[in-house]
Amino acid sequence: MKAFVTRMVLPFALAITAASAVAGNAPRPAQSAVAGSEGTPTPELNEKWMIEGQKRYLINCGRCHQSPHLFSPRVMSMAVRHMRVRAMLTQEDMDYLLYYMTHQ
Amino acid sequence: MQNRFARACWLATACVGLCAVVAAQQDAAPPSVFDAKPTPILSGGVAFVPTWEAGDPTLVSIVSPVVLVPLGNNFVFESRAEFEGDFQRRQGNSGDFTGAIDKSLEYAQVDYIGNRYVTFTVGRFLTPFNIFNERLYPNWIRNTQSDPLIFPIGTGSDNGVMLRGGVEVGKDVTLNYAVYFSTLSNLNHLESERHAGMRAGIFMPHERLEIGGSVQHEFEDARFNRYGAHLVWQPQRIPFDLRAEGVYSHEEGNGLWAEGAYRLHNAGPAMLRRLQLVARTQLFYASTFTALNPDLPATDTKRTEGGFNYYLNDGWKALASYGRTFTPLGNSNIWTVGMTYRFLFPLGAIR
Repeated sequence: MKAFVTRMVLPFALAITAASAVAGNAPRPAQSAVAGSEGTPTPELNEKWMIEGQKRYLINCGRCHQSPHLFSPRVMSMAVRHMRVRAMLTQEDMDYLLYYMTHQ
Repeated sequence: MQNRFARACWLATACVGLCAVVAAQQDAAPPSVFDAKPTPILSGGVAFVPTWEAGDPTLVSIVSPVVLVPLGNNFVFESRAEFEGDFQRRQGNSGDFTGAIDKSLEYAQVDYIGNRYVTFTVGRFLTPFNIFNERLYPNWIRNTQSDPLIFPIGTGSDNGVMLRGGVEVGKDVTLNYAVYFSTLSNLNHLESERHAGMRAGIFMPHERLEIGGSVQHEFEDARFNRYGAHLVWQPQRIPFDLRAEGVYSHEEGNGLWAEGAYRLHNAGPAMLRRLQLVARTQLFYASTFTALNPDLPATDTKRTEGGFNYYLNDGWKALASYGRTFTPLGNSNIWTVGMTYRFLFPLGAIR
């Protein structure tokens, strides 16, 4: 037991810790890419984000299940957060998916 | 030595938690488009899937509610219970249907989304061994309704702690990982094994291909390892899903399954575009220690199934399938028909 945890699980957890501490405060792409000066996206950025969001939607959500209904941003925000944990989506996936699913 | 080991585990866990908190606090505020405050949700699935195995009917009825509650900006509470009634006739092929309703708490966990690379989970969670248990188990998601033969190996629910996440390591490569430790529990509806393990996978979005592996070490009386591998592929040009898993355990047995599903998206008649054709084949080779895991087949078993799913809308699915099971003790048919439904209701303000 000790050998397994010491050799495999513990170093893996520590490596994640170190990596996340060093790199975890990098800015989210959404912050620079979507928000305009007044917090609203420009038409070009909106189009870019919708295309990328749809692509990630098909790739990630469509791998396992059918399209869900469209719900309000508050419901979608909860669903995407849940799926980030369940389906191990990246932060980028989560941002693009939330944007796409609340702007259709 | 036990104390030193326990201290090391706690130190690692505390270290992870602290770094995640520090890193999260360094993130700047999100833009307004992401300011929507998440609201609690009641979701889940309902399934009625009568099955005839070797001629004996079983009315499989499942209700599986999921509750999601946001706790501040970075915490989430999520839970899923399952109520399953497998009703069988009193005299095999005659008499009324009877049976108990099996209740289980599949997960009840608090997630701390520390930063873009790590989520820290504590509580009762689905064992991240291969992918069927975590991603494909709900009836409204799975393409073939019966559980894979190898499903009882390494899966179920754990009580403990877990680190997990997904990271884009290149433009076309995403790495996902989960590492966990579970403690022993014999409490009714909250059973778990004492084991530790990890899973890692690489997803290539352009190729729509994911491959990964799992390893788990059992700390109970018979200490042993379990190994798993999984593959998911969805080619870009055709609406086809390929899913496969394999498991090796010297003590419990080994096997694999592979499933293909083709959705007739490009069919001429609109009605046919809702149809999905499915086929799955699987092998299981039993070990000599069959008593270790009574949920597994006692002998070598092969099973091949084929059927269809018909998506009435995004929530309702009708299905039917036929399969044949081959064992040294004899062969048998397995028929399934039924319906599944996925629901979702907000439990709080939606505006």
